[in-house]
Formats: sequence, structure tokens, C-alpha cells
Amino acid sequence: MKSLALENLSKTYFDPYRGIQHTAIKDVSLKVNEGDFVAVVGPSGCGKSTILNMIAGFVPITGGRILVDGREVKGPGPDRGVVFQSHALFPWKTVTENVTFGPKMRGVGKAERAKIAEEYLALAGLSHAADKYPAELSGGMQQRVGVVRALANNPDVLLMDEPFASVDAQTRMTLQEELTRIWEERRPTVVFITHDVTEAVFLANRVVVLSKGHVLSEVDIPLERPRSWDKLNEDDQFKALSNKVLQLVRSA
Amino acid sequence: MIALYSIWGYYARWTARWPALAAFVPFIPLIAIWAFLAWLEIFPRVFLPGPIDVVEKAWELLYKGILTDYLADSLARLAVGAAAGMAIAIPLGVFVGLNKKAHDFSWPILLFFQAIGDIAWLPILLVWFGFGLTTMTFVIVYTVLFPVVLNTVLGMRSVKPDLRRAAQSLGASPARILFEVTLPGALPNIITGLRNGLGYGWRALIAAEIIVGTSGIGFLMFDARRAGSVEEIVVGMIVLGVLWYIVDSWLLAPIERATGQRWGLVTAR
Repeated sequence: MKSLALENLSKTYFDPYRGIQHTAIKDVSLKVNEGDFVAVVGPSGCGKSTILNMIAGFVPITGGRILVDGREVKGPGPDRGVVFQSHALFPWKTVTENVTFGPKMRGVGKAERAKIAEEYLALAGLSHAADKYPAELSGGMQQRVGVVRALANNPDVLLMDEPFASVDAQTRMTLQEELTRIWEERRPTVVFITHDVTEAVFLANRVVVLSKGHVLSEVDIPLERPRSWDKLNEDDQFKALSNKVLQLVRSA
Repeated sequence: MIALYSIWGYYARWTARWPALAAFVPFIPLIAIWAFLAWLEIFPRVFLPGPIDVVEKAWELLYKGILTDYLADSLARLAVGAAAGMAIAIPLGVFVGLNKKAHDFSWPILLFFQAIGDIAWLPILLVWFGFGLTTMTFVIVYTVLFPVVLNTVLGMRSVKPDLRRAAQSLGASPARILFEVTLPGALPNIITGLRNGLGYGWRALIAAEIIVGTSGIGFLMFDARRAGSVEEIVVGMIVLGVLWYIVDSWLLAPIERATGQRWGLVTAR
């Protein structure tokens, strides 16, 4: 896992209905160190998903640049693993085939892939579902597969785009705790996009608040680890930090 | 009322055990009405034969080997025409689906030729190729081609963009994305196209055989008209229906169940 830097990033769209240039992102600079966990929050339409899509290389950059481990981003690539809100699992591939898709594309042999599958399915508690198709899994299980599919490809940076937004509240808390556990074990470099303030504070080392396409504020989250909802639900520091971030988002 | 419910209960239980029954039982009342109408002799027996006359005729044709020979001819023509049609249609569909310029350029042409129905080609084909196999093969290939091309293009365009993005960020090359993501994603539509294409092709074949034929089920029916054997015409009609049911439910539906339905892309009926 390596570091990520956004330097004066901007994005303008041409709006064909109004005939004007629309600025979605303006002059965003952000440094994510190796092994750091940064969450980006902000009201809908603030440009957080656009930033992630630019880091992933899905949409072109119109100003500034993005560096992953010192190399400039020129399009999608396996150095940046992506977890989608829609889970984006391949419906015609089993859980195992989904998880080992990245290694297979990189030319990793069959025996090695089997080992990778075993390791990552165990990591997410999915060993029993190895041969199932995504449609046969619950929403929470699908998201777990989405997370380990990205991790199993051993990316420099893990990009997560509101991955838990479409599961029920209880499952979401479980998934958050599992992600925290995995992060604490393996320390990947993570950029996590969410509109859920408590989720951001629970997961991240640092929360970036975005407003109308620029960085409004950055808040450090010095909560001790390992974290769990049992510990943090009634924790005063957690509540204070959540409140602080919430105030910033509401003022955004 | 209660009697009806209990009959329905038996029906549901037996068809659950032997699904083939569910295909046959709905025809019982239909055959009964047919037998009744024939028995009333509103129309002379030669115009409207009863089920038993038709079964006897079918047995006679089977016994002489005519029915099996003609059936084999028709099926072989359909198979050759459909295979050739698919061999052209799927690569063409993939090309049009991948290439925006090719799509914009070819779409009006595809729609134009789709509108000229298969048998509308017969007059000109007869002038060009005469009464023979070339004409019949052309008609079947033509009929299979368009539904498969159009559905392949549609299928490729309906693959969710996130799936392609996911594959890209997992390191898949454009060629791998085509084979691992776009084509499997388009498969349910391609199967729908095949299903329609084969259905249209089967109908077009019978029409072509009636006009062009020297053998085949369409020829059998038209030849029987000349001989004034209504039983034989009805045998031909029944064979058409039964055969299509078999092709659809024993060949195409299982493929659909094993792919699109299993993957949750198509809801089971």
C-alpha cells in the first residue's frame, strides 16, 4: 500500500442545457499517507463521488493532478482498487471467481489464485459462500465480497464509494466493524466516501469535509483502536467529534 | 365448486411431479372441443376431420417414413440456416455494439432490412436463385440474423457501466473486458434474440417450403392440399406446434435457466 496525493485538483463540466462551464471540483489538494484511512464527507452534490471517480481514473481530470506512489494517474488501473456502492460484482462469476478476478487478469496461476481466494474469503467470513453466485447472497454479503475483491488484487490505494449506503442499519454496523478490523490488521491506504458522518468518524483517522467542490475543513480522529460500536456508542470523545463534523457538514 | 378445487389440487400435485404433464393437460379440453365439433359434422368430415382421423393419418405417414424424412429435412434446413445466421449475427452484433461509429452508421440499415419481412424476399430470391436450397437457406439466415444482431447490440449496451469500471480497476485489458464482462452480460439478450430468431426462422422455413419446396413439413402440407387430404394438413400443423414447444422448452429454456436466471439478470417465470 502506498500514498496518494491530490494536487490542485479541479473538474469542470460543460452544461449543454445552459451552455456554460460548470465547476464541480475546484482546487482540491489532499495528501493521504501510506497506511492512512481518510473519509470524505459532505452533502449530496458536493463533488465527493466525482473526486473518487477521478482518483479511480473513470472520469478525466480537467485541472491539477493525482499521484499514486509518485506516479501520475492517467486512467483506471489495478494500483487503485475500487469498492462500489452498487457492489458491481460480476453476476456470472462465483464468489471465488469474483475475488480472484484481479489476480487472474494479472496472470497469477491457478494454484496461487486458490490460495488467495482461501485467504481473502476467510478474512471476510465468506468461506461457506465460495461457490455461490452474487444473486444468491444477501446485500451485506455482496458488499463483503466487493471489499475483498478489491483487497485481493493488492492495490496501492483502496477507494470506497459509499459502499455501505444500501444495506440495512444493523448490517451496516457489522460491516463497519469488519472493515475496521481488516484495516487494523492490514493497514491499507483507504479513501472512503460517505454522507454518513458517524460512519466517517467511526472508520477514519482523518475526516475531510467537502463543500461545493472544495475542502471546507479536515478533522483528525484520534480515537484509540481497536474500535467497535460497543465501545464508541457511548464514548464522549466520539460524540464530540461526530458533532463537530456534523456541524461542519451542515454549514457546508 | 369444491369438486373443481380438488381437481385443481390433483392437477397441481401431479404436474409438480411430472412437469411434462403441465404441457399436455391444457390441450385436453381443446382436443375435446375439436372432437365434439367434428362429431357434430357441421362441416363435412373431409373438411374437418376429427382427432382420431388425424392420429391415424399421422401413424400412416410415420409408418411410410414420409413424416420422419420430411421432418429431418426441415430440421436440417433450420439448423444449417440458424447456425449460419448466428455465425454472422453474433460477431456483427459485437462489432456494432463495441463501435459507436459502426452503430450510428448501421442502425438505420439494420432497422430498414428488419422491416422487409423474410417472405417479402421470396419473389426476388426466386428470380435470383430459383426454386432451391439457396433460396430457403437465404430466408432462414435472413430471419435469424436481425433479431440476434439487434439483441446482441442491445445486450452489450445494457451491461452496467460499474461492471466495466470494476474490471478496469482490477486490471482487465479491453479484450478481457469484452470476454469476461460485456459478452456474459449480453448473453441473456443474445439468447432472447436467438429464441425470437429461431421462432421466426421456423415460420419462414415453412412458408419457403410451401412456395419453394420439394420436401419438408411445409411441402407436405401444401402437397396434401393438392391431394385434398385435410388430415395430412392438420398433421403438419400439429407437428409444427409440438416441435417448436420441444425446441423452446427442452433446448432454449434450460439455457436461459442456467445463465440469466441463475445470475439474477432475468427473473424466473
